[in-house]
Amino acid sequence: MSYTRSIGGNVQTPSLNPAQLEVVRRGLLSCGFHCVLQMPTGTGKTWLAEKAIDEVLARGLRAVYLTPLRAQADELLQRWRSRFGKYPVGAYAGTTAGTEPEIPYNKARVLIMTPERLDACTRWWRTHWDWIPDVELLIVDEFHLLADPSRGPRLEGALGRFRRLNPLTRILALSATLGNREELADWLEGVEYASDWRPIPLSWRVARYKRAQDKPEAALGAVRGCVADGGRSLVFVQSRRRAEQLASVLREGGLRAAHHHAGLDAPTRRTVEAAFRGGSLNAMVATGTLEMGVNLPVRQVVLYDLQAFDGADYRPLPVWSAWQRGGRAGRPGQDDRGEVVLLSPAWSREAERYLTPNFEPIRSSLAAPAALAEQVVAEVATGLCRTVPQLQRALGASLAGFQGRLPSVSKSVATMLDAGMLATKADEAGASHMLVATRLGRIAVRQMLAPDTVLTLARGLCQPDVDRWSFFDLLLLACATVDAEPPLTVDFEELDELAALLGSERSWLLRDLDRARATLGRSGRALLTVIKMATCARRWTRVGDADEVAEATATYPFEIGRLCESLERILSAAQAIAAPKDDEAAPEPIPEEPALRERLRALVTMVQAGLDEEVVTLTLLSGVGPTLARGLRAAGVTDIEELAGAELGAVAAVRGVSASRAERLIAEAVAKVPERAAWCFRETGPQLQPIASTWPVSVDPYRLRRALDLRVSARGDGWAVTGGSDPHRVELVAGTPRCDCPDFAKGKVCKHVLSVRLATREPEVTRLADELRRVRAPEALDLQTLWFDQSVRASA
Amino acid sequence: MSPPVQLVTRRGVVPFPAYLPVTTFGKKYPLDDLVRPYLPRLARGVMVSLHYARQMTAPPRLPLFVDSGGFAAIFQTSVVREEHDLGVLDVHPSEGVMETLTPMSVLDFQEQHADVAFTLDFPIPPGTEPNEAERRLGLTIANARWAASNRRRADLRLYGCVQAWDAESARRCARAYADLGFDGVAIGGLVPRARKLDDVFAIVDAVREELPSSPLHVFGLGNPATVRSLFERGVQSVDSSSYVKLAASGISWGGDGTVVTDMAPPERLRLALSNLALASRATVGLAPRVWLAEPVRSSSPAGAE
Repeated sequence: MSYTRSIGGNVQTPSLNPAQLEVVRRGLLSCGFHCVLQMPTGTGKTWLAEKAIDEVLARGLRAVYLTPLRAQADELLQRWRSRFGKYPVGAYAGTTAGTEPEIPYNKARVLIMTPERLDACTRWWRTHWDWIPDVELLIVDEFHLLADPSRGPRLEGALGRFRRLNPLTRILALSATLGNREELADWLEGVEYASDWRPIPLSWRVARYKRAQDKPEAALGAVRGCVADGGRSLVFVQSRRRAEQLASVLREGGLRAAHHHAGLDAPTRRTVEAAFRGGSLNAMVATGTLEMGVNLPVRQVVLYDLQAFDGADYRPLPVWSAWQRGGRAGRPGQDDRGEVVLLSPAWSREAERYLTPNFEPIRSSLAAPAALAEQVVAEVATGLCRTVPQLQRALGASLAGFQGRLPSVSKSVATMLDAGMLATKADEAGASHMLVATRLGRIAVRQMLAPDTVLTLARGLCQPDVDRWSFFDLLLLACATVDAEPPLTVDFEELDELAALLGSERSWLLRDLDRARATLGRSGRALLTVIKMATCARRWTRVGDADEVAEATATYPFEIGRLCESLERILSAAQAIAAPKDDEAAPEPIPEEPALRERLRALVTMVQAGLDEEVVTLTLLSGVGPTLARGLRAAGVTDIEELAGAELGAVAAVRGVSASRAERLIAEAVAKVPERAAWCFRETGPQLQPIASTWPVSVDPYRLRRALDLRVSARGDGWAVTGGSDPHRVELVAGTPRCDCPDFAKGKVCKHVLSVRLATREPEVTRLADELRRVRAPEALDLQTLWFDQSVRASA
Repeated sequence: MSPPVQLVTRRGVVPFPAYLPVTTFGKKYPLDDLVRPYLPRLARGVMVSLHYARQMTAPPRLPLFVDSGGFAAIFQTSVVREEHDLGVLDVHPSEGVMETLTPMSVLDFQEQHADVAFTLDFPIPPGTEPNEAERRLGLTIANARWAASNRRRADLRLYGCVQAWDAESARRCARAYADLGFDGVAIGGLVPRARKLDDVFAIVDAVREELPSSPLHVFGLGNPATVRSLFERGVQSVDSSSYVKLAASGISWGGDGTVVTDMAPPERLRLALSNLALASRATVGLAPRVWLAEPVRSSSPAGAE
C-alpha cells in the first residue's frame, strides 16, 4: 500500500501515501486539537492512528481506540501487541463483565474497546478513575455510527461523559463516509481533513435491465466480465432467498458461485468463505450482514438490490452503506482497478445518486426522546448531573444539541420522574430540586438498558401469576423489550417450523393472545419476532451449542450469541427488579418452591452458559460457575442430585477440580439437596399446541387477505375489481384469469385474480378464505393469526 | 551566585519557576480526588500537608513536597511548647485525640514518603505579642538546625523554613540558615500579610539578599499576579490550594468575578484545572513535539527531534 522512496541516496524511510503525507504535513495529528479524518477504507487510517498512539505512549500517557466491531477489536489486539512492543495493550469489548480481561484497565497503555464498553466505564467512572485521567487520545473509528438509531446515542453519551471527565483528552474521529465532516469538526471544536485517494482506483457504473426477469442476466453478465479477466466478484442482495436463487443462476451461467447468509450453518459458511478467499470460488452472493466484519477482498462488488431490510421494512440503501460495501473492491497487488456495479431498471434514475459519494450527513440519534431519556437517567444515576440546568448544560454539548435537535431536557426529566426512574430529593437548603435515580433507574443504568425496557419488565413482573410463569414466559417478556437484540424476524415460510419448535414449550402467556399482546406490548409480526427470539434462547439453554440452535432456527450463530448477551443483561435487571427492596422485612425461611427471584437468577445463568434447568442446579453451590457446571455436565454429572451421589474420582477428573475440592463439592451438594432438588426448576404450565398450517404454497395468504376486501362485478366477458388503490380488469384468456395490474405482470397470482376466483366460488380458494376468517379456540396457538394481524402495527 | 534553575528530586526534576498545586487525601475535599490525577499534566510537583499525607494511599506520580503541618499552630486550641530545646506543637483536632508534632516525628515521616521536606516551623501572625513572636522564631530556628543535622536520606531535599514579621526578623532567621546545608529555604506566614504586598516583598527581598544562591519557596500565595511578581523578585517556587478552593466555590481566575452556582462535579473539575493552568501558565492540550513520519535511520546518534 505504500511505496518506498529514497532520500539522500542511501537512506530509505518507510514512506507514506499521498493522503498520509498530507495529514503529516499539515500536522493534523500533532497540533493538539481534535481531528475528524475522512479517508476511504484501506488507505492507511490505521497507520496514522498508530503514529498518533506512538507519540502519546512516549509521553507516558494512555490511548483508547473505539471500534464497534468485536472481530476488529480482536484483530487489532493481536497486531498491536507486537506493534507497540513494551507497552501493554488490552482489548475490552462487550457490556457484560462476564470474563475478566487479561490485562486490568489501569495496566494497559493502549485500550481497545467497543463503544458500549466505554459507555460502561464512563458510567462507573469512579472505579475507573485510576486510568481515565491518563488518557490523552481517544480514537473513534467508524464515527458515522453516531447516526445509528440503536448504537449511536450510547456512543454519543459515552463521548460526552468522557470529555467531561477528562477535559484534557484529544479525539481523533475516523470514517470513510461522512456527509457533514466539517459540521462534526465544528462540534468537536477541532480540525478536519478528507481525502479520496485510493491505492487502487475504483469505478462505479450502472448496469440496466429492461424487464424484471432480465435482472439476473444482467448481473450474470457483469460478474462474468470480471471473472473472465481473472477477478473475483461479490454480489450483495436484499434477502436470503434471493442469494440462493442468484447463486444458482450464476452457476448455471458457468461460474463457480455460492451463496452466503444466515441460513447456512457455521461449517458451511466457513467453507464458503475459505473457498472464496482461496480462489476455488470466483463469485459469492451474500446478504448485507457480510458488510460487518468478514474481510473478503474482491475486484468487483455488485449491488444487486438498492434497498435493504432494516428489521421492519425494505428501505432504499443509504449512499454511505453502498460505499461501505463497494469500498472493498480492488485488491492491492492483484488488481489494477476495482469496480462497483449497480443494477437498475432502465426506466429508473435511482441508481444515479450512488455514483457520487454524497454521503448522508450524520444526524445525531440522541434526537429521539427515548434515547435522551436513557442518557438523562444515566447522568443522574452516575452522579454527574444533579439538577435540570446541569443536565441541560451537559446534554446541550452533545451533537444533538449542536445540531439543534435535542429534545427538551426538562420534559425528559419530567417524563422520567413520572415513570418512576428518577425522583427528587431535598438539598441542604431544603429546596427539592436535586435529582436522584430510583431503584428502577439504577437498575437500568447498571445494565445499560433503556428506561422503557426496565418499565416493561417491572410491569410484567407485577402480574399476579408471575410466580408460576415458565422460563419461556420470562424469556418472552425479556425478548419483548426494546433492548433485546438482534430482532429475529419470521418469514411466512418459517411459520410451520416455528410452530413445531413451540410444541415443546410451556407457557401461560401464549394461552391467551390478547393477554400476551397486552403484557408484552407487541402484536402481529412483532410478536412473532418475540416468540422466535424466545424460542432460540430457550433452545440454547437446552442444547448449549450455538451452531445447532442457529441451524434449527435459520439464524447465524453470532445472532444467537448477541441475543443471549442482551438477554443476560435484561434478565439480570429483571432479577434485580424482582428482588425485595432493602427496607422489606427480615429474610423469611426458604420456601419450598424457588422464588421468582431465584428462578430469574437461574435463568440468567442458563442463558449465559447454555445450561438447562437441571444442570443449572449445580450452580446453586458456591463457587460453581457456568464453566464448571459445563465441565461437570460433560463428565456425566447433570444435576445437583447426581453430584451428591457421584464418585469422588469422577468429579475430580473434571478439569480445574482438585481432589479436595471435589470432596467439598460433593459434601455441599449432599447438604443442599434436601432444600433444592434437581427438579426444583422444573417447568410446569400448559404446553402449547400450535396449529400447523395446511396452507398451499400456490396461494399467497397475504394477497388472499387483501382479496377479501375487494369488490367484483361482471363486465362484459370479464370482471371489474374495485376497492383497492386502482380499479383493475380481469379477463379469462384460454381458461385462466389474467389481470392488468403490475403485480400480475410480475408473474404473481394477484389479489384481483384471487377476488375473482372467490367471487366465482372456486372450491380451493373458498376453503382457504374460510380458514382465514375462522375464529380459533383460545388454547390453540395459531401463528398465522399473528402473521395476518394488521390491526395494530407494532412499533418497529 | 544565583540559585539553581531546577530542583533535582528522586522522583523527577522540578524546573524553576514552579507553581506547585496543593492537594489533600482523605474524604474532606472530594474535589481533590477528581483533580489529583490531572496534576501531572499541569504541574511538575505537588504539595501536601503532613496531616493529609498520612492518609495517602498511593503516592502521586510527581515529586512530592510535604510540609510539616506546623501551620496548625494558628488554631486557637493549638499549643506551641518547648521540649528538649526544640519546638513542638500540640494539636487538638475537632475529632480524635491530641497529637504532638515534633521535629523528629515530622522528619521521620518525610524521610519515608516525601521527595522534598520542610522543617517544623511556627507561624507568627500579625499582631502577635513581641515576646511570643521571638519565642516562636527561636523555636523555628532551633527545629531547622536540628533537622539539618539529623537528616539521613541522601536524596531527600530539605528546605529550612523562615518565619518573620518584618524584614529585620526575616534577615536574622535567614542568616541562621546560611551554612546548614539546606537544599532551599521556604518562607511561611505571608498569607495573612498578603493584603499589604509591600510587607511581603520586604520580607522576601530580605531573605533573598541574605541567601543569594539558595532556592527560595513561598508558602500559600497563589494569586497569579502576585506569583508573577514573586518570580520576578527571584522566588523559585510557590504553592497554593486556591485553584481548587475557588473552583469549589464556582469562581474562575480568568473570569470577571461572577460566581457560578450549581456546578456539576465535572464542571468543578474543569474549572479547577483551568484555574491551575491559568495561574501556572501551563499550556494544556498542545502536543509539545511535532513528529515526522519516521526518524531517519542514519548512523549519527541525533534523532529527529
